[in-house]
Amino acid sequence: MQNSIIVIADHIDGQVSPVTYELIAFAQKLQTSESPAIKVLILGAEILNSAREIAAESGLEVVGFEIPPMAHYNGELYRNVLTEHLLAAPPAFVCIAHTSPGLDYAPSLAMALNGACIGGIEDIVPAEDGICFARPLYGGKVMAHIRPISATTVLTIQPGIFKPCQHTAETSGRVAVRPISIKPRWWHSLGVKDGATDTAGIAQADVIVAAGQGFGDRENLDLAHQLASIFAKSAVAGSRIVCDRRWLEYGCQVGVTGATVSPRLYVACGISGAIQHVSGMRGSEFIIAINKDPAAAIFQVADICIVADLMTFIPTLIEAYQNIRDSGMGSKLFSPIPQPGST
Amino acid sequence: MENPILIDDRHAWIQSDEISEYRMNRLDEFALEEAVLIKEAFSGTIVDAVSVGPDRSTEVIRRSIGMGANAGIHIATGSEGYHSSFEIAAWIAEYARGKTYDLILTGAMSEDNMQGQVGSMIAERLALPCATAVIFEKIAADKNTIYVEREIKGGSRDTLELPLPAVLTIQSGINTPRYPSLSNLLRANKLELAKIPITDLAQTASREDLVQMVYPQKVRAGTVLNGTEEEKAKQLIRILRERALIP
Repeated sequence: MQNSIIVIADHIDGQVSPVTYELIAFAQKLQTSESPAIKVLILGAEILNSAREIAAESGLEVVGFEIPPMAHYNGELYRNVLTEHLLAAPPAFVCIAHTSPGLDYAPSLAMALNGACIGGIEDIVPAEDGICFARPLYGGKVMAHIRPISATTVLTIQPGIFKPCQHTAETSGRVAVRPISIKPRWWHSLGVKDGATDTAGIAQADVIVAAGQGFGDRENLDLAHQLASIFAKSAVAGSRIVCDRRWLEYGCQVGVTGATVSPRLYVACGISGAIQHVSGMRGSEFIIAINKDPAAAIFQVADICIVADLMTFIPTLIEAYQNIRDSGMGSKLFSPIPQPGST
Repeated sequence: MENPILIDDRHAWIQSDEISEYRMNRLDEFALEEAVLIKEAFSGTIVDAVSVGPDRSTEVIRRSIGMGANAGIHIATGSEGYHSSFEIAAWIAEYARGKTYDLILTGAMSEDNMQGQVGSMIAERLALPCATAVIFEKIAADKNTIYVEREIKGGSRDTLELPLPAVLTIQSGINTPRYPSLSNLLRANKLELAKIPITDLAQTASREDLVQMVYPQKVRAGTVLNGTEEEKAKQLIRILRERALIP
């Protein structure tokens, strides 16, 4: 069987999303010596420039489907156009970004192609009989290796994991753009409403103290604010669950559905570390995680791991800081850092 | 999610009996609440709560009735273990086929399997329109269409209209899920749930195998601070100073 691989480009507002090049890197890892060349597909109202850019960068053939009425993403059109094109010669793998649009159309497309659908892939694992894909379960506390057993498999790939190729291709790939005349039967787009939330506060902070479910109650969030106040240019942010519970405004949310941040310091307090949150903060320069669960997934991405109860540890930390600051004795108080333990 | 998740000796699945307490998937609570809100807004609406899983799933179904669902259906897998989104969607669609549901609501994803596929796959199986990650919905006065807002990146919302019947996957934060009422819980305990073993449903071959379960590898070489809380606090302050993050 031919191991043909298709990549669906992710783009927004006329710009190719960086994850598109990660998808290409992923597809290249998946390629075997018998695989035919990887092909990139792109759909949208105006896609010629993006198609040319991808072909020039990657050297791969790019097929564009120009759908004038699709000014915004339309899940039904994505599903229908891709299905019609791919059913003619079903590929072994369709690589899609694990982003808002990708998550929406990938399962429908997989069903339409009678294929498997494996979502949120973080690694490719060679196995004795065929290839497996690693994806997180239970908030990232465990990983499952999943082997597709269908002729076609739709894969959604976690952004930020597969590093794109650094070199521009020597020769550009071929670009073919086809106009498609199609109207949705069901999905009538009424436009995109801009987020009412303002994430500038956390996007510009040097230090972010992020609060998770571990605070237990809205009142306890005061501790996060107290901790933030010992740092200059700091802000308090939160995980999705904290915003869903209205402990913080949605503008303070870090993660897939909120802001992506990369401060000098990120202090994750009582945050379990599900991939939806981690993908918004793993670019931080230095990460401290405080959680009472030693198995919390957040410890996998942290530079400093502290297993402790927030309710007692944060006051202890603030008090220790104040004592040292007030005594003016500086770091002489401390003995050298003990050799780091590890888990 | 506060429980540790342990993998069994064969690396085949988690040690499910080590989990002390099971509860309803958090996103499904929002889906159920939305269904009950619709029931309250449109008289004559009936809400059925469906769950696929081993016998302990009946507790979640009873809680759904406690929150306001009229009846419960348990699609019984019979045993623990992994089921792909495809299988779960196929069973639910098989159950729902031919019934006259105007709306099928699911959570936008499950906290354990984390795929966010079941709703879209049910829609495909039943050839119904579908909107995912719905953060607002309003059924038109004529009940022929539904207006939805889908959450997309950075808090922006994609707005659209779909004809009914339809499938929606509900994003967290769309409402505030209520606690079950005592009177409803009493009713739930007396009510007999419809139990459908998966062996009674048309068999669909799975399209994937779970080969093994592993613990994740650390991405960063994290230093674990040891000692009493005071000792950890002092070590941390020292580290913060060395990195010039505090004066």
